Amino acid sequence: MLEMMRDPLGAPFFPVVFQALLVVTWVLHIHFVTGAIGSSTFSIYAFWRKDPNLLRLGRITARLTPNMVGLGIVTGIAPLLFVQTIYDPLWYAANTLTGFWSVTFIFIVMGGYSLAYLLFYLKGSKDGRLLWSAVASLVLLSFAGWVMHVLHQVSIRPDQWMSWYAPGGVIDTRGVQFHAYDVPRLLFLLPLQAGLSFAATLMFVSWYLRQRVDADPTFLDWTAGVGRRIGLWVAPLYGVFGLLWAFTEGPEFGLTAFIAVVAIVLGIGLFAFFWLQNKQPVRAGAKALGVWALALVVVAVTREVIRAVSLGRFNYSVANYPYIIDWGSVIMFGVTSVVGVSVVTYLIMVIYQSGLSADGTVSAKAEGFGRVATAMLGAWFGFFVLIGLYSSLFLR
Amino acid sequence: MYPVWEGMFIHSAMYVAIIATFHVLASHLTVAAAWFNLYIERRAVRENREELYEYLKRSALGLMVFAYVFGAMAGVGIWQSTTAANPRGISTLIHNFVLYWGSEWYMFLIDVIGIIAYYYTLGRVGKQTHLRLAWLLALGGSGTLAIIVGILSFKLTPGAWLENGLSLAGFFNPTFWPQVLMRFAFMFVITSGWSLIIATGLPRGFFEREKIIRYAGAIGLIGLVVGVGIWFLWYQPTLPAHARSIMSSRAIVPITYPLIITGVVAAAATLTFSYFRPQLQRRWIALTFMVLLQAAIFGAERVREVIRKPDIISGYISSNQLLFADLPARGVEREEQRLKEIGMLGNLPFLLPADQIDVANISTTDAQRQIAVGHVLVVQECGSCHNVSLQTQIRFADQHLVLRSLADLFVLRQRTTAADIDAYIKGIQGFPYMHEMVGTDAERAAMAAYLEDFIKQTYTNQPAVIGQK
Ligand code: HEM
Repeated sequence: MLEMMRDPLGAPFFPVVFQALLVVTWVLHIHFVTGAIGSSTFSIYAFWRKDPNLLRLGRITARLTPNMVGLGIVTGIAPLLFVQTIYDPLWYAANTLTGFWSVTFIFIVMGGYSLAYLLFYLKGSKDGRLLWSAVASLVLLSFAGWVMHVLHQVSIRPDQWMSWYAPGGVIDTRGVQFHAYDVPRLLFLLPLQAGLSFAATLMFVSWYLRQRVDADPTFLDWTAGVGRRIGLWVAPLYGVFGLLWAFTEGPEFGLTAFIAVVAIVLGIGLFAFFWLQNKQPVRAGAKALGVWALALVVVAVTREVIRAVSLGRFNYSVANYPYIIDWGSVIMFGVTSVVGVSVVTYLIMVIYQSGLSADGTVSAKAEGFGRVATAMLGAWFGFFVLIGLYSSLFLR
Repeated sequence: MYPVWEGMFIHSAMYVAIIATFHVLASHLTVAAAWFNLYIERRAVRENREELYEYLKRSALGLMVFAYVFGAMAGVGIWQSTTAANPRGISTLIHNFVLYWGSEWYMFLIDVIGIIAYYYTLGRVGKQTHLRLAWLLALGGSGTLAIIVGILSFKLTPGAWLENGLSLAGFFNPTFWPQVLMRFAFMFVITSGWSLIIATGLPRGFFEREKIIRYAGAIGLIGLVVGVGIWFLWYQPTLPAHARSIMSSRAIVPITYPLIITGVVAAAATLTFSYFRPQLQRRWIALTFMVLLQAAIFGAERVREVIRKPDIISGYISSNQLLFADLPARGVEREEQRLKEIGMLGNLPFLLPADQIDVANISTTDAQRQIAVGHVLVVQECGSCHNVSLQTQIRFADQHLVLRSLADLFVLRQRTTAADIDAYIKGIQGFPYMHEMVGTDAERAAMAAYLEDFIKQTYTNQPAVIGQK
């Protein structure tokens, strides 16, 4: 059944490429959304405790949260594209079976985002008056994560779709039920990863700001220390909940040992990493982010293995997804990728370099690159019109 | 092919429309504002006007908070809602254009990272650097617009794609050029609306307040004239005859055209006024103008969406999510023909065979069973555009609020018995916005039985209809 549900048009390029893009872009997505949840939680804690150092950091993280959510949303769009290209039967079945929540999700995320901004507007609300908005925002954002989780869990269980859709032969077209979930998996992927994403981000930002001449080294060293301590506390829990995930979801797919090994390696590995940074955690900032990115890739691949094994039971495999090589798509995406990556790199350079110096200097080299990148984006429109004219005139 | 999500309280298609309206506002505004801010910033740099940066900072914050992220999120929202409402429609688009959407994604990234960079580096980095960011935002926003038009216009006029199956042919389809140019022209009307709101908020005598208002009037008028011109001289003539006939049918809710005309007239009046009497321009006028403009855009977007009925992709897949045309170039075979012969039930995933419907209920009579079977079919075949059950009716007192309810339509046409309804459905393709029903005679009879029952459910204790959204 799954195979016949695939779109008869097939994919416009090698399906495994979409799978790789799915994994990579999901890593970005999950880093930003969990980072947002981490920084939101931390801000609430800081405003509640009212310790001066904590408050100072809490105001910064309150401003970090909405930007992380914004980036989480944009980076979520890419995996959304790719998942429905190669896993369309699953994604569409899950989204219709859970239709009400799949649509309400939008309002939940918008609400969570807006409420996070309330705190930002008041520059971290000095006296903590707007704490309720931060709490409400955190609740909504976590709920959005829950919806995503349910969608995924429903999607990898084709054997149960029919019993959910038409129990006793009566169709249920409301889409209001949360048909499948695995709490340990969600705790592993959401709150615990939130702690680790946030820990790595804190260490990274402290390391980054420490390079400024007008930096406040005491505060930044302290901040990096906070990041490290969060990491130390959360990493073992991460391993434990990973194990619980292995024992709850693993047996269904015969993957208990596999998930358990991943959980143990990640738990111990991350704990060891944070533990080793006991001398000067601030110096390990860049490394912390790198190690964390690596861990997330492992998690992303693990999710993919579970999905592949589950679908393998029904002879569904990305490797045999029908495809054509559609040159128009390839040219459009190829050219836009070169332009897009250049412009985004330039934007990040501007943010990064201007934040490094007290007076916001951007290096001449970056400026030169920026001129080229901007010209490329301008030229992109020329390319777009040319390929458009060609198509309009010759592909009739 | 997939489970049906009918919607909850309101119809699934209404969720799409509501989210889309909001998205159109936010997305057009970001592109429009990016160009306006670029204009202001260029003047600020050239003429060394420090005070303008104050305006830019405020504008950037508002845009960053609301327009960009909300625009992106509402864009995702259209996706989620169309996915839940009509997955195979979005699937066709995805499997043709995923890499075009991927290209648009780079433009989103430029927009969102760009506005963050723009806001946080304002006043910190050099002026030329910051001006470059303004350029990137304007170009990036325009890039998203250019790309999405290819995908949107494809739905109505897939053009040569129906023969050669090439994504480029579908993307740069017959209505692509007029639509993309028309959108850019109208974008300047929105830009001028936005700048009027901003400029009228400036204190009197502030840096060329009047001059900005005059410019806005002129630019907007040019955009309006060009846009309306393209509509009549290029876009409308390019539309398929079928689409034009639907334009003048009752498929378009009657309020739509007055809404559009009001918007155009209001735009012409406000912009002319701004040009000739900039000193008299007021903020409330600008705001009213924006609201009317938005209503007109909503109307126009609805028309664009409705005129391809009864298809999702014109000439390829219909609203009931069945492919009705072969596409040999991509090895696709139509599904509708076969299902007309062998019947729907049991022959598509998620469509139970008749003998498995309502099996848990052992005490049902044959008549009730037929109604249950009809229910499944009606939901499948009619549910994506019509209200077909109480689940998507909002009821209060003796009224109900619905989307094109089949109960109301049959009552209106005085066909309320199963036999009458059956005969009516048999010839339903007589309407330009309806396809022939897919299925066997027995299936049609079951559908009629359910619809008779549905009319009774709807009208048990409430005779009046509020209206069709
Ligand atoms: C801000 C709130 C959000 C949170 C907390 C969140 C969290 C999550 C989590 C925890 C998962 C993994 C689920 C699992 O494997 O069990 C996930 C997956 C995913 N999310 Fe999000 N997400 C958010 C917003 C978004 C948005 C706005 C989009 C789309 C633009 C999105 C797109 C995706 C996609 C495509 C997946 C992968 C689904 C799959 O592989 O089957 N998310 N998200």
